[in-house]
Amino acid sequence: MLRARDRIGTWIGWAFFADLASALALTFGYMFSRSVTMQYPDKEKWLPYSRYRGHHFLKRDDEGEIKCVACELCARICPCDCIEVVPYEDEKGNRHPIKFEIDTARCLFCGLCEDACPADAIALGQQYEFSSFSSRDLVIGRDDLLAKPGKAPTGGGVVAARLNTKKDVLVETNEPQGYNWWRNIRRT
Amino acid sequence: MELIVALGLIVFKVALLIAMLLLLPLPLTWVERKIAGHMQQRMGPMRVGWHGLLQPVADGIKLLTKEDHIPAEADRFLFKLAPILALAPPFVVFVAIPFGESISVLGNEISLYVSDMNVALLFVFSVIGLEVYGVIFGGWAANSKYAVLGSLRTCAQMISYEIPMGFAVIGVVMLAQSMSLLDIVRAQADVWNIVYQPIGFLVFFIAGLAEAQRIPFDLAEAEGDLGAGFHTEYSGIRFAFFMVSEYVIMLLVSVLAVILFFGGWNGVLIPLPPLLWFALKVALFIYLFMWFRFTFPRYRYDQLMSIGWKVLLPLSMANIILTGIAFI
Repeated sequence: MLRARDRIGTWIGWAFFADLASALALTFGYMFSRSVTMQYPDKEKWLPYSRYRGHHFLKRDDEGEIKCVACELCARICPCDCIEVVPYEDEKGNRHPIKFEIDTARCLFCGLCEDACPADAIALGQQYEFSSFSSRDLVIGRDDLLAKPGKAPTGGGVVAARLNTKKDVLVETNEPQGYNWWRNIRRT
Repeated sequence: MELIVALGLIVFKVALLIAMLLLLPLPLTWVERKIAGHMQQRMGPMRVGWHGLLQPVADGIKLLTKEDHIPAEADRFLFKLAPILALAPPFVVFVAIPFGESISVLGNEISLYVSDMNVALLFVFSVIGLEVYGVIFGGWAANSKYAVLGSLRTCAQMISYEIPMGFAVIGVVMLAQSMSLLDIVRAQADVWNIVYQPIGFLVFFIAGLAEAQRIPFDLAEAEGDLGAGFHTEYSGIRFAFFMVSEYVIMLLVSVLAVILFFGGWNGVLIPLPPLLWFALKVALFIYLFMWFRFTFPRYRYDQLMSIGWKVLLPLSMANIILTGIAFI
């Protein structure tokens, strides 16, 4: 009896396109829900978490001297052999790299160089915009690595940004006070 | 002198109509992409102009400057003829479509239609049937298996859906006792036909979806299985012709649905200018078309055929008989 009534109900539903109507209602609801698009690079930009492994940078110590002691452990551990270090000795007798090149075209951003470094001199930052028209430009030298921005203490948010055709995407604020992007994801 | 003025008026109206129909696909593509985006929680075009408003212009420039490619083994004459054959009938049809009674400009009453034919409905259906030629020539001339498959599907689909569509509007003709679209709208001044002809409207609308080759009946260009159907091999401006004809047919089906079943320019409750009422109703139908497109999947080919012949045709026949009984 119950099954028969269910069947009749289904048939009546079909006759009045109940299933199609529910589908239409769903898409209509979605039409007026917030969009999840991040307007990169026109208006917004995703600032990665500080655990993110982006472009490498070399650190300086308190006196402004490069921290790296050119032990070449990072070059040894690098699985894709993309780090090249040439040491020299300065007038105080300290060992430093005269050449420190990372071929970011070959790098797989595993972060092993950061783990291996005994002097805490190299780390992977949050920068991820370094595309180039030539793979030669992706070989980054020592001074460029020193000039790269270090790790931001915060991350994991959308910040206001705008496209700058000359250089990178210009970030207008560093704090991810924008909004939490995950908020817009509908879970049904 | 009077003859010249009358002729000049007709030429002006036709030119205005052609300009309107040629330009309307531009905002419609933008609207369609915006609706698609928002239904999928995206934003749609955003970068060209304010909220991507100039995107259709950019697309148009792109289409105009693209290489006009003709496949090596193609039938060149038919290949060039097909887009024109597909584009012309939807434009010709609009000659018979009224957009309102008349408006007064500088003290002169100017009617909002090019011609008031007494067999306008018949004219519309016969001319729109000619569009099949463009489709079948385009598919055949391209000498590509996808195009031939697509055009065969389209032909079968258009022919089998024109029959229930034609039968569905007979109920409306019976109610108005006239085939003139103007008289049909005048007959709906008090009560819209949708009240008397719900089944007729249903059949007409579903057949119209198939006629305009919109999802869920867009088997002609089923991009998933046929590339792009009959216009797979077309590029540049010739492809744009097919595209424009598709949008004009969508507009035509919306306009026909409004005229035949939703009272044309007769308003309810809110007193608005008749032309505005008409435009609002047509816009609603166009939105409905787009809403359907981004909600439903595509029907299988045999399902399409069985819906047309086994469901819509008997329903439209039953509608005629019911209307006849109600008359007695």
